[in-house]
Amino acid sequence: MSFQILLNVFLAVIWMFLKNEFNGSTFIIGYVLGLGIMFVFRHFFTERFYLNRVKAVIQLTLIFARELILSNVSVLKVVLKPKLDMRPGIFAFETVLTKDWEITILSNLITLTPGTLVVEVSEDNRILYIHAMDIADKEEAVDSIKNTFEKAIMEVSK
Amino acid sequence: MFDLLLKIALLGVSLSMIGFLYRLIKGPSVPDRVVALDAMGINLIAIVALASIVMDTSAYLEAILLLGILSFIGTVAFAKFLEKGEIIENDRNR
Amino acid sequence: MIEIVEILSAGFILIGVFLFLVSAFGVIRLPDVYTRNHAASKSSTLGIMFILIGTLLYFYYKHSHFDFRVVLAIFFIFMTSPVAGHLINRSAYHSGVKMWDKSVQDDLKKNR
Repeated sequence: MSFQILLNVFLAVIWMFLKNEFNGSTFIIGYVLGLGIMFVFRHFFTERFYLNRVKAVIQLTLIFARELILSNVSVLKVVLKPKLDMRPGIFAFETVLTKDWEITILSNLITLTPGTLVVEVSEDNRILYIHAMDIADKEEAVDSIKNTFEKAIMEVSK
Repeated sequence: MFDLLLKIALLGVSLSMIGFLYRLIKGPSVPDRVVALDAMGINLIAIVALASIVMDTSAYLEAILLLGILSFIGTVAFAKFLEKGEIIENDRNR
Repeated sequence: MIEIVEILSAGFILIGVFLFLVSAFGVIRLPDVYTRNHAASKSSTLGIMFILIGTLLYFYYKHSHFDFRVVLAIFFIFMTSPVAGHLINRSAYHSGVKMWDKSVQDDLKKNR
C-alpha cells in the first residue's frame, strides 16, 4: 500500500515537471491523473489497489456514525420509560478477528452499538465479554456484530 | 431569538451538570463517581463552546481541545488506579 | 441566509442539550454502574458532537472562517469516548462492584 502511494506521488511530481508549474493545484491534478493511470494498471500490482481500502475505511466511518445515532435512540427509550424493566447481563462473544487494532476498533464499535458495552477482553484476544442493557436483545446484537462490523473491518484489513 | 435559545441551551447544560454533580457526590461506589466525572468533563467542553458563541469570539476554541484531552487522560488514570492501585507501573509484562 | 444558518445551528445545539439532559437523567435514574455507563458514554458523545457541529456552522457563517480545531475536537472525542467507557466498566468489574439485582447473566464470572 505504501509503495502504491509513493508511486502515485512520484507520478504527480512527474506531472509537475511536465507542466513546469510547481504549485499545489498542479500537484493535486497530477495526483488525480496518476490515480487514473494506476487504476488502469491495477491488475499488475501484487497488492490490492489502495483506493479500495480507502473506500472501505469511509464505509466503516459511516457505519460508526449510524450506530452512534441508533444507540442513542435505544438508550433514550430505556431511560425515559416510566418503569425500569430491562434485564441487564454480561455475555461472551467469540470474535474471528486476530490483530490488535482490529479488536480495538471492533470493541469501540460494540460500545457504540445499541445497548451493548465491552467489559473485558480475554487474555488470548479471542473472547469479548459484553454487557448488554437488555439480554433479550442479545441475538440481535450478536447478529449485527457478526454480519456488519466484522465484515466491514475485514474489508479494511484484508 | 438566537441569544435566547443560547441562554436556554446554557441552562440545560448547567442542569445536566447538576445531575452529574448529584451522582458525583452520592454515587455508592468509586466507579460511579468516575463515570460522573468523565461526563462532567464533556459537559465543560459544551459550556466552553456555547460561551464562545455567546461572546462571539473564536479565541476559546483551543480550550475545547485541551479539556477533551485532559478529561480523557483523567478518566484513563482513574480507571487504571482503581484496577491496579498504581497509575504508572514499572512491570510492563503483567 | 444568516437566519437559516442561525436556526440550523440553534437546532443542532438544542438537540445536543436534550441529549445531555437525557444522559444526566439516566445517570441519576439507572440502578448500577454498568447501566449508568451506557447512558453516560453514549448520549454525552452524540450530544457534544451535535453542539460542536452547531458551533462550527455558526463560526463558519458569521466570521466565514472554517475552524479546524473544532473538527479536530469532534474527531478526538469520537475516538476516545468509547475507550473511556470501556476502561471505567472494566475497572468497575475488577474492583468488584456488584451488578444490579435483576441482572440475569454473567458469563465473565464463570470463565475466571
